[in-house]
Amino acid sequence: MLDFGKKITELISKALGRSTVDRETVESIIKGLQRILLQSDVDVKLVYELSNKIRDRCFKEKVQEGLTLREHVTKVIYEELVNLLGREKAGLKAKNRIMLLGLYGVGKTTTCGKLVKYFQKHGSKPALIACDYHRPAATEQLRQIAEKLNVPIHIDESKNPFNAVENGLKRFAKNDVIIIDTAGRDALDKELSDELKKIGKIAKPDEVLLVIPADLGRTAGQQAAEFNKLVGITGVIVTKMDGTAKGGAALSSCYATGANVKFIGVGEKLEQLEEYDPVRFVSRMLGMGDLEALMEKVKEAELDEDDAKRIMSGKFTLKDFYDQIAGIQKMGPLSGIVEMIPGFSSALPEDLVNIQEAKLKKFKYIIDSMTEQERNEPEIVNSSRIKRIAKGAGVSEKDVRELLKQYDLTKKVIKKVGGTASIKRGQLAKLAKKFGLKF
Amino acid sequence: MFDFLKKKLNEVVKKVTDKVAPKEKEKKPKPKKEEKKETFTTKIVKAFTEINVSPEKVDEIFQEIEIDLLEADVAVEAIDKIKEDLKKEIVGKSIKKSELEKHIKNVFKKTLNEMLDVPKIDLMKKLEKKPTLFVFLGFNGSGKTTTMAKIAYWLQSKKLSCVFAAGDSFRAASIEQLEEHGKKLNVNVIKHQYGADPAAVIFDAVKYAQAKKIDVVLADTAGRTHTNKNLMDQLEKIVRVNKPDLKILVIDSMTGNDIINQCRMFDQAVGVDALVLTKTDVSNKGGSILSAAYVLKKPILFLGTGQSYKDLHEYNPKEIAEKLI
Repeated sequence: MLDFGKKITELISKALGRSTVDRETVESIIKGLQRILLQSDVDVKLVYELSNKIRDRCFKEKVQEGLTLREHVTKVIYEELVNLLGREKAGLKAKNRIMLLGLYGVGKTTTCGKLVKYFQKHGSKPALIACDYHRPAATEQLRQIAEKLNVPIHIDESKNPFNAVENGLKRFAKNDVIIIDTAGRDALDKELSDELKKIGKIAKPDEVLLVIPADLGRTAGQQAAEFNKLVGITGVIVTKMDGTAKGGAALSSCYATGANVKFIGVGEKLEQLEEYDPVRFVSRMLGMGDLEALMEKVKEAELDEDDAKRIMSGKFTLKDFYDQIAGIQKMGPLSGIVEMIPGFSSALPEDLVNIQEAKLKKFKYIIDSMTEQERNEPEIVNSSRIKRIAKGAGVSEKDVRELLKQYDLTKKVIKKVGGTASIKRGQLAKLAKKFGLKF
Repeated sequence: MFDFLKKKLNEVVKKVTDKVAPKEKEKKPKPKKEEKKETFTTKIVKAFTEINVSPEKVDEIFQEIEIDLLEADVAVEAIDKIKEDLKKEIVGKSIKKSELEKHIKNVFKKTLNEMLDVPKIDLMKKLEKKPTLFVFLGFNGSGKTTTMAKIAYWLQSKKLSCVFAAGDSFRAASIEQLEEHGKKLNVNVIKHQYGADPAAVIFDAVKYAQAKKIDVVLADTAGRTHTNKNLMDQLEKIVRVNKPDLKILVIDSMTGNDIINQCRMFDQAVGVDALVLTKTDVSNKGGSILSAAYVLKKPILFLGTGQSYKDLHEYNPKEIAEKLI
């Protein structure tokens, strides 16, 4: 999965790295994106639709003020991906009747329990109705879950799902949430689909939630469409998101039914159900937490113009160095980010690029242990100061020396970059932005 | 069950054929000068009846057919193999045009045969040891318990007795599920309470089988995510304590590209001896079988093909390859 993240990062950095963004660049990015999405089990039609949207917007839309064309392309791709996944966090308001359905072994019964827990947390009084009389001990499984959560459950003694729903609804008339578990089925199987249809008619659910495992392949779209025809899907729950699978099938299901993802299951315990957050889902699917950060930075990275001017003119203090480190730490893992920044990865000395996150933390402690004067004029730091700083920061003297060395190297690079670039307003800001991104 | 993959593969063969030799060029140009007729026409004829494909051309072709294969749930690694083979067999080779389609079909057939060809296990020989211990492992909801019940039924048809070990002590009602199967199949279930150490449960089942002279112990385990270190360690302990004769990975054939991760990580953790692919009756894509067979190169014992006990088919790679192309 990390591979995908790397690939998409490469793709985007390609776009950012070229001097001009032309049709060919965008096409090559789209091609790469297609492959990544298809590898994540996203429906082929959906992938093409997305490609077309990206293509359209890249070429036709006016570039937003303050963004370069490259950034515009990045933004379009990111936004379209998030759009595809629904814009907002989607939980579920207390609805009276909720029915769960899906293929075999997708996690319906477990999810029923998780939903009960979710509603309990929100102050509702849920009840369960068991309608799976096919799989051995399925009702027993639900009964054990109900017992654990201390909620009432209705099981039909004669193993008739229709009676179960009818009587269960009567019995739980006073409960504000009723969750109905159904048997796993192949939506194309006539007998089972007829049963589901009939259950749906009796239950008249407010929400019909399709349960889809994250690792499901391209069977997803077709099955979802069939289920939708049978009972009408109002939402999707993606289970088993704690494995390595990326959940692309869920997308296909949403696409096939027009329903949104409501929850994701992230573990085997009953509280491991999360309200769905599209941004995190994209990140997860494409392994591009970095891209999210990048987008944020594109917005935020307007480094103060004065700061930028000062830095570019060579007045780069340890304090600036510190700010940059703090910035990186806020952004999360370093890996991947560096490559995103055109020109910068090659301009910086190798070992600076490869600074480990653990080391960065150390640097931070060291700088914290310095006096204000030392931060502004690192030149004054001599060996006795180094000894003191190392003690204060709880690191070795070697670490302090290394920090000073890294600072020196960075300063040199900045001087070089700042020196060769003509200090025009726009360009300076751009450089600063790059700098803000990288460092 | 392979309808979709079959359709896609045949589309792919056609696409490759068409791309390699575009149809519109089929008219024979008339030679202009009589005297040069001999050599000239021979050349022309050769140019239009024999085809020489460049590597770039293959890459171009592949960009298109890759999507067809992905649509059929063939994992990317498996696709790369097909690509590799195709390249080897058609790049730089002169192929008669009339035989092109046949040639490409043959290349595909050969590739599929190779991919589907996995080492075989002589199950009956394995079963000579008394008692034999099979441990079933896999992702949540892949169908371990159902598969176990089906295999019990299969063993009974071979006049072999078996006992179930309720090694899934985590999921609610997993023990009851196994007991219901046991009741229907008349197979005893060795169990502890929920939360018990699965390694110990299985150990007891083996002891029981030894004492009662039962032929086979079929041990269930809880479904687990291959990324969960603690659960994988638990699996490792089960294996260390009980030394199973076969560790059988149960894989849902509807799984998409993740099938490769799942196979690999279970194999890395405890070593997988054989596979069973379930739910092949629901999945019409079929690509997952290709991926699993190719990536893991482990014996595939059975395919699960339905809800009842008899819906278990022995894996026959030749038959599948024949069906596909």
